[in-house]
Amino acid sequence: MRNEDKKTIEDSRIPLLVADHLVYEYETGSANTVRALDDVSFTIYPGEFIGLIGHTGSGKSTLAETLNALLTPKSGSIYFKGEDVFTKGYDRKKLRSHVGLVFQYPEHQLFEETVFKDVCYGPKNIGMSRKQAELTAYETIKKVGLPDECFYHSPFDLSGGQRRRVAIAGVLAMKPELLVLDEPTAGLDPKGREEILDMIAGLKNEDNMSIVLVSHSMEDVARYADRIMVMDKGKKLFDDVPSEVFAHADELEKIGLAAPAVVSVMHRLKEAGIPVDDRMALTTDEAVSEIMKAFGV
Amino acid sequence: MSLIDIDKLTFEYIRRDEEGGVEGITTAVDDVSLKVHAGEFIAILGANGSGKSTLAKHINAMLLPTEGQVTVEGMDTTDEGLQLKIRKTAGMVFQNPDNQIIGQVVEEDVGFGPENLGVPTEKIIERVKKSLKAVGMYEYRKKDPGRLSGGQKQRVSIASVIAMHPKCIVFDEPTAMLDPGGRKEVIETAKQLNKEGITIILITHYMEEVTEADKVFVMSKGKVAMTGTPREVFSRVPELKELRLTVPEVTDLAWKLKEAGLDIPDGILTEDELVRSIKKEYSIRKN
Amino acid sequence: MLRDITLGQYYQADSVIHRLDPRTKLIMTFVYLISLFIFTDPYVYAAGLLFLVIALAMSRVPIKFMIKGLKPVWLIILLTSLMNIMFTDGEPLFQLWRFKVTAEGLQRAGFMAGRLILLVFGSNLMTLTTTPTRLTNALEALMKPLKFIHFPVHEIAMMMSIALRFIPLLVDETDKIMKAQLARGADFESGNLLKRTKAMVPVLVPLFISAFRRANDLAMAMEARCYHGGEGRTQMKPLKYKGRDYITFLLLVIYLALVVFLGHFLPGILG
Repeated sequence: MRNEDKKTIEDSRIPLLVADHLVYEYETGSANTVRALDDVSFTIYPGEFIGLIGHTGSGKSTLAETLNALLTPKSGSIYFKGEDVFTKGYDRKKLRSHVGLVFQYPEHQLFEETVFKDVCYGPKNIGMSRKQAELTAYETIKKVGLPDECFYHSPFDLSGGQRRRVAIAGVLAMKPELLVLDEPTAGLDPKGREEILDMIAGLKNEDNMSIVLVSHSMEDVARYADRIMVMDKGKKLFDDVPSEVFAHADELEKIGLAAPAVVSVMHRLKEAGIPVDDRMALTTDEAVSEIMKAFGV
Repeated sequence: MSLIDIDKLTFEYIRRDEEGGVEGITTAVDDVSLKVHAGEFIAILGANGSGKSTLAKHINAMLLPTEGQVTVEGMDTTDEGLQLKIRKTAGMVFQNPDNQIIGQVVEEDVGFGPENLGVPTEKIIERVKKSLKAVGMYEYRKKDPGRLSGGQKQRVSIASVIAMHPKCIVFDEPTAMLDPGGRKEVIETAKQLNKEGITIILITHYMEEVTEADKVFVMSKGKVAMTGTPREVFSRVPELKELRLTVPEVTDLAWKLKEAGLDIPDGILTEDELVRSIKKEYSIRKN
Repeated sequence: MLRDITLGQYYQADSVIHRLDPRTKLIMTFVYLISLFIFTDPYVYAAGLLFLVIALAMSRVPIKFMIKGLKPVWLIILLTSLMNIMFTDGEPLFQLWRFKVTAEGLQRAGFMAGRLILLVFGSNLMTLTTTPTRLTNALEALMKPLKFIHFPVHEIAMMMSIALRFIPLLVDETDKIMKAQLARGADFESGNLLKRTKAMVPVLVPLFISAFRRANDLAMAMEARCYHGGEGRTQMKPLKYKGRDYITFLLLVIYLALVVFLGHFLPGILG
């Protein structure tokens, strides 16, 4: 089983970030207030890859901006390594280097003349020396898979996918322990999406970085996340390993989300009496091996 | 006669450096020929930078060919006197829902096109009403477009095009910035319009959206790399992957099962088809 | 903070004020503003306030929206009031640090603040009840005589309407970019003026680029919908004066007469 007995191990680990009963409200144009976060609590452990799913207006983007204290909740708090980040005197600038946040269409925030300078912006802001900042920038640009000749190009001369990598590098260069990405693949073509997601998965595997991937693609999340949180109307609806979350196909559908096509196919095969374990397969490759097993091949 | 006739179209643009000197020439569309007949639902697929959007902008004379010819209902797009008529015949819906809405109120935006065409006032109101009803946005006619969801904004943009009474609508990646719900709204609307007789040209990189198209063109590096029905095109999985595209998950699973030795037909497009053929194969093998 | 700018934002409701011809509203607002400028009499302000309150009540715009509109100008109101309090000669009431505070000063400060608030409320009421498109249509119609001297009336009206349409978008965008740079450790609040100005560069550059991109997209979208200037264009909602407009004009004349009486003749009569 995927992660079946992982839970007992999890509890003994030291949490990286704890969100404690977060409530956030904002006012819309007319008189009514909307609860963007409605009593949301969870814990993030080092090295976890969490998929945060929900459709537009579910509160997932608000949650992302609360994690690095860009938004202050109405009640509840965030504890980063045990410290309440909303107490007076807590260094939020420092927090933002520990909890990196990549916004949607991050390439729209690029501003420097060269890729290299732009990536240096974050490290310099958090007080790295010039040399240190440049070294970090160099490593990070390499890490996101950009070729050497890009370094002194204007970011505006690069392709869309490359610009997005530069923008992600700009956040990574601050060496965050938790990286939150708000729909990092929006607008990219399928191959571009896959490349960015593979790169992000690499950060988790090689640097033991914790990742929160905000997405509305169940397929993407199924492939990469160890754990899925589903948000709806400001509430956390599910928070579990992917196979458990996808088992609630009906409830997901009710809120306008669908389990990945593969999961649905497997479920229907099982109902038709073909001996497949529908909880074992989240990706096409897993599905193939599970189906072939049922065929006795 | 075909509605749109693209004949050996080549489009080049000159890249310049910061000082304005010529850096090189990029061929965005390279010797493309294709015909679209009235009433068809055509899909053009391709990765970012494959030239599909550049091609689309030739259909309503937003761009003019470097070489070759594009005609819409027999009208040559290079004929300046015909440009308004061409744009009225072939409307266009763009990618960013925020950047194509001109009016501050939904119905005012829909009226913009007819106003430009010099349609008399009472007729504009009639057209606006009909167009908004066609996309299911009539109740929102007095709303501020800024407060609508992405999918709703795109439907308003579609209504704004319909109000010009086009024969054909070119959708230039209309869903790239939308969430799954919004994508569905837009694609369903496009399909509905097609049923009512409007020719649809859908440009996208989401394969799932084109499974019901009459014909699919796959573009790569400015050329048409593949042509066929969705089923024909989606049965060529390895080639598509090489062109930086992926097939719908169901199609991918079907193809992988076939590779693994099961007898599954090519180009499976829906979950139903896949489940049915696996079940059939299973009962054959087990008996 | 940036979202608080209500000027140029429309509040949707179905009221008489909303339905008035935008030209009527434009002329009305213009006359109203002028009346506040010409006279500095408390009775005139009272009449102005009454006029505004009635119009506001009829418009069904919540008062909250009007007050929100004050946010960008409250600093100006505060400053002018302070200046008036500190630099008006007269009978000193008490000493505030180096400045004598006089009764005349307080009175003038009160007038100034009152006038500014009425000015902002008056113009806000117009923009809140008139869609920018209608407003620019009105401007275009009222400026039509200028066409004879080859003044590009239509083009300017179109530019204004587009600018108004894009202001909220760009405001949102600024907010987003600021947040994104904050997430990269930017600091917009500490340091001297020079440092703060420099800190804005990472916000302004992306903002300009985005504005250009939007302008480009919009130009394309307009062209695709057969926009080719004002020539041969018809209007979906042509401006037409109706009964309510004539009544409004009548009320406006009465208001004017009242104001002139209050501001010009009454002080004379009272001696």
